[in-house]
Amino acid sequence: MTTITKTPGTKPLSAGRAPEPKRDLKIATGLSHVALVAWALITAGPLLWVLLASFKSNTEIFLGKPFALPNSFSFDTYVNAWSDAHIGRYFINSVFVVVISTAGTMLLGAMAAYVLARYKFPGNRAIYYLFVSGLAFPTFMALAPLFYILKGIGLLGSFTGLILVYIAYSLPFTIFFLAAFFKSLPYEIEEAATVDGASHIRKFFQIMMPMARSGLVSITIFNIVGQWNQYLLPVVIMSGPGADQKLLLTQGIAQISVSAGYQAEWSTLFAALVLTILPMIIVYAIFQRQIQAGLTAGAVK
Amino acid sequence: MSVVDSPATRRPDDPGRSQQGRVPGHVAPKRRRQRGSSSTPWLLALPALLLIAGLLGYPLIRMLVLSFQNMRLRELLSGRTPPWVGFDQYTRVLTDGVFWAVVGRTVAFTFVSVIISVVFGLSIALLMRRVTRGVRMFMVVAMMFVWALPQLVAAQIFRWMTDSDFGVVNYLVDKLPGVDYQNHSWFVNPWQGWSVITTLVVWAGIPFLAITLNAGLTQVPKELLEAATVDGATPWQALRNIILPILKPLITIVTTLSVIWNFGLFTQAWVLRDGHPEPQFQTLATYSYTQAFGQSRYSLGSAIAVITVLLMLGVMIFYIRQMFRIGEVD
Repeated sequence: MTTITKTPGTKPLSAGRAPEPKRDLKIATGLSHVALVAWALITAGPLLWVLLASFKSNTEIFLGKPFALPNSFSFDTYVNAWSDAHIGRYFINSVFVVVISTAGTMLLGAMAAYVLARYKFPGNRAIYYLFVSGLAFPTFMALAPLFYILKGIGLLGSFTGLILVYIAYSLPFTIFFLAAFFKSLPYEIEEAATVDGASHIRKFFQIMMPMARSGLVSITIFNIVGQWNQYLLPVVIMSGPGADQKLLLTQGIAQISVSAGYQAEWSTLFAALVLTILPMIIVYAIFQRQIQAGLTAGAVK
Repeated sequence: MSVVDSPATRRPDDPGRSQQGRVPGHVAPKRRRQRGSSSTPWLLALPALLLIAGLLGYPLIRMLVLSFQNMRLRELLSGRTPPWVGFDQYTRVLTDGVFWAVVGRTVAFTFVSVIISVVFGLSIALLMRRVTRGVRMFMVVAMMFVWALPQLVAAQIFRWMTDSDFGVVNYLVDKLPGVDYQNHSWFVNPWQGWSVITTLVVWAGIPFLAITLNAGLTQVPKELLEAATVDGATPWQALRNIILPILKPLITIVTTLSVIWNFGLFTQAWVLRDGHPEPQFQTLATYSYTQAFGQSRYSLGSAIAVITVLLMLGVMIFYIRQMFRIGEVD
């Protein structure tokens, strides 16, 4: 609303005619700021509290003063978490898996979405619905059969198996959004390329992919977040002999918290929790500009 | 002119006509080339198709088959084919009062949590249009972090915050005059426990909704709102008659997705109850999981899972179809 009164076209009008609504608007704007700041505190509060606790020692955590500052800001808890609790290894495992599977998801998803959105062939709709109906199924249901399939093809407890599963479970959403996005792109450039004799593959990689950039970025972020989030899938898949070296970060965290109840190193747990947020800060730093543009325009056309 | 193979073919009456109408000497070589690669579109979609069929489709079919058998630990270990029991598992589930209690609880939770999330998400998105750019960016960043937090981590944080001995929530509530919340356990009373779970789900769910809806709001033409203001429309009228209709497809999508996600609530309830949810904290997802893996009634768990999906599809079919149609038309 504020932007409206600021636009040159309406300014003389609203200024000349009705000063009162404008004051109302100002109050409303002030209130919205207050409301949003309050909400930001609620949103970020738990995170800040965890950050604070991650610097405390175990005794300080149990002192019963949750908002007291720690005696000293040392990174001991982080060092403990990183090496003693093996969080470091799990962290790298997680990054590795998410990077590869997000890249795979985007490539396969974009190719399939492009074909489904832009080509007419018998069975197109059927395949589209097949893909997208995957959206409606809660993951946990397929866990047991998934376990046996992977065991059967010898991919249980391997990164390859986990990555393939991640890709398969991210594809429905990716295809659903990207197909809609590809449809909304103009057809003329592609037609021109066809006339100039570009192959399908070339059209896809050199014309459609760059044009769909903002959509691709938002779905990439969505997939990174979604796959970073996984807990049940790795629990089921990263089992069997030798899998303890290949656990993911979320499993590591569950391990710490389950291991010994109150004897557990809670400070280590908090440090590990903070470490899970870290990659998102990096992702945000990299994609900052695209997030501003892409997240606000891309995902929803 | 060679629209035959081009993806730009949107007109259904086109293929025959354009073939007749092409200039022979000029287009023919290209057509030959394109015919040679006409399987490329298929090839592009094939890897995705194979993965989904193998790792998503096949497990679901296996689960469906399993639900008509009686797979117990014995069959699992010996590798024998479990006996075929027809609809026995389903009759057993559907005549069980406990199951219906779980269904009612899951539905109620989904309903409440989705309504709260969407209303809050939309309000925050609307508020974000009103504040300055800097504040807006700050909001987006804060929400990105919460959105990016793994459910497991968020649940751990809430578990620790509501801890009966050392939780920060008890500490704060206890500060209120006349309230004694020391060592108060939030999960003795199911209403309190469920409000903790709902708060967690809503807290973690709002960022996605607010960011997406805020993105949608940028698509609302400013001219329309200006015209409405000039015509003396109240903000409420502008919201009801301009913003909401434009935003409707997007709201349908995010609401449908929220329902699907919240209906499958698992991790949060699981972690907050330490991996052993009491009967009053079971949802369809945890119930199916405990039956299958905790009690080794794999077939019963599968039947519950199948019923879960059918229930969800039954309730949501209208919206899911609408969501698909939105994804399709453009």
